[in-house]
Amino acid sequence: MNADAKRIVRKCRRFAVRLKEHKNVECIDEPTIEIVLCNVGQATGFTKTELQDIILEKLPNVNLSKYIAEKGESHSFAIFGSIEHSKLFFDTYNGKATQNGIIIYMSYVTKVPSDETIYITDLPSELHILHDFISIEEEIQFLKLFDWVDECNLKNRNVKHYGFEFRYGTNDVDLKAPLENKIPEECSILWERLKEKGLIVNIPDQLTVNKYEPGQGIPSHVDKHSPFGNTIISLSLGSTIVMDWRHHSGSYIPIVVPRRSMLIMQGEARYDWQHGIQPRTWDPVIQERTENGARVRVATSDTVERATRVSLTFRETRQGPCECRYETLCDSRTSETDVAAQLEELHVHQVYEKIACHFSKTRHKPWPKVVEFMSQVQPGSVVLDLGAGNGKNILNRSDIIQIAGERSEGLLWECLGHVRDIPTAQCVRLDLLHAGLRALCADVVICVAVVHHFCSQKRRQQAIATIARVLRSGGKALVTVWAKDQTNSNYICRSGHSDQTVTTVGGLNLPVHENRTQFKHNDVLVPWKCRKVANEKLGDDEGTFLRYYHVFEEGELDSLCESEGLAVDRSFYEEGNWCVICTKP
Amino acid sequence: MKLITHNMLTSKCLKGVVTGYPLAISATNIKVTEVDFNPDFIVRIIPKIDWEVFWKAADSIGHSDGLPQTVESKLHDNNDFLKKVHRVLLEVEIDEGHLTCPESGRQFPITKGIPNMLLTEAENKFAMLLKSANDLYHEVFAPMPRQI
Repeated sequence: MNADAKRIVRKCRRFAVRLKEHKNVECIDEPTIEIVLCNVGQATGFTKTELQDIILEKLPNVNLSKYIAEKGESHSFAIFGSIEHSKLFFDTYNGKATQNGIIIYMSYVTKVPSDETIYITDLPSELHILHDFISIEEEIQFLKLFDWVDECNLKNRNVKHYGFEFRYGTNDVDLKAPLENKIPEECSILWERLKEKGLIVNIPDQLTVNKYEPGQGIPSHVDKHSPFGNTIISLSLGSTIVMDWRHHSGSYIPIVVPRRSMLIMQGEARYDWQHGIQPRTWDPVIQERTENGARVRVATSDTVERATRVSLTFRETRQGPCECRYETLCDSRTSETDVAAQLEELHVHQVYEKIACHFSKTRHKPWPKVVEFMSQVQPGSVVLDLGAGNGKNILNRSDIIQIAGERSEGLLWECLGHVRDIPTAQCVRLDLLHAGLRALCADVVICVAVVHHFCSQKRRQQAIATIARVLRSGGKALVTVWAKDQTNSNYICRSGHSDQTVTTVGGLNLPVHENRTQFKHNDVLVPWKCRKVANEKLGDDEGTFLRYYHVFEEGELDSLCESEGLAVDRSFYEEGNWCVICTKP
Repeated sequence: MKLITHNMLTSKCLKGVVTGYPLAISATNIKVTEVDFNPDFIVRIIPKIDWEVFWKAADSIGHSDGLPQTVESKLHDNNDFLKKVHRVLLEVEIDEGHLTCPESGRQFPITKGIPNMLLTEAENKFAMLLKSANDLYHEVFAPMPRQI
């Protein structure tokens, strides 16, 4: 052994003693696949890339399988695929200078620290994952049956429905509108196989097929309680993924859902836990172990790439309020407010998104009463148009600030096209009930044909409260709503005979208004018909959409404004609308 | 989104947020478009602005140069000053980026110049629930390095 080699051995011995005493790292002479790098680590800024570069320089065929650098430590660990590789690395680089002039000293070890996350949470009760539920051949058959070429119709994934269409937004199904496509016969083997395994489930009547490309996921959610029964089953095809399960108590557990497995959720798992999939192209490798006598799940730092996954989620539809024992996530324990919010989602927000383009084409002139009101607005004023729609009431004035607040994305794009050329006009996407506007910021508010779309008295009042909140003292507002009395309007041209009703969210029964007739009820669904020319993009809905309206009685809007502390200056009827001009004291 | 709009936005609408104002700006694309200068209009608009918030916002996107931290009425006759306000208020626009709630860290995206202040249904309903899930997400997944 020459002097140089002796020096290296001496150095290594010294490091070994220090590591054993202070860091509990046992260095050995016998080669293993794990090597401790004694004088480089996270604290010295040594990275995996740097190590890989060093290896690549002289040993291009040696594979580094892992590099572990603990926080704050000036030593680190390199793990190789075989002893042959680790030995090559050791013999080539121990005591040799790197490109940066650092001499790395190393030693073999038998133990490396953990870079893993341990989860001790028990699996959700009544969650079963049956591995290899179908064979490889059956998986191919199912993929053939359900895989399809289709443009992406949901933001992050492809989806197809059988039995009943799943309504996003309200997260339920319309039991009165079953689909022609029933659950394919080929799925029957699944129920039979469950039965053989002693799991009796009712035969599902609704199927949602989701296709997830690598990188796509689904946000954490609970399948809405009331529209579906106690059992939800899901068959995974094409790719294994990790599904995250979260309980409202704070418990969290990542669970591997293998391809060709059947996942069955009932009871607590179905009603009290939320599940979701991270939008990633890879998943951590999850191992199950026993530590200190307890079964634990360990998310290792190893990863596996995802492939395209198709999931078949089978549900059994049901009617009436949910009867589960798990209140927290139950929609049947939620209040009237939620029904109103769902009704607005389905019959206001979603409709406006669908008709935005056509709606905008038929509404381009500002309403004369708005122009009259706005002509009184002093230069230098800040004007908020809340529920601005396509921005038709935003005037071409550059001596005032005009901010168009609108909830519908479709209408807002129309609006942007209109206000783009007005340098003092701006668009903001907001909701009148939770408007992100600071108090007392506006001199003037206009709110034209908006408040009649809120489904409860409380919510209409909340909308007016927003107006009152953002107005400065002395500020003025113009609010208009549709009137129940259409006697003196151009709208009426015939008398109505129809008594059609529609059952919608929350089992609510609402009359469908016959266009161009007198209103018979205060809370109605008004059809919007898109003419063929304008609706090239509309598909199967035949171009008719039902919009919810609460049509106002005389004086109703005045009392709403007064109850929120606004002083009514003027109240008038114009073309089938009730209008109020009010001042904030 | 011009800074006049930023001056009026808040995330107080989020559950548990007390003031939510001012929102922090992260801009990935800032546009500057020339707009006709109207000194009378600027003089009228200045008292409507929360000046401190306006100045800090301008500073955070690198446009506070020459803009005084406090505003005095004698400046109203100063044409250079008014021009500077005009520029930062009406000509500078955040085209892409996001706004961040100073209390919760919730981000509101700005797309094609439009800030999206909509809350999700879940934020209205299960605000607390989501918070804990989010915390977990960050604890569990954020520090995990992507292995090669």
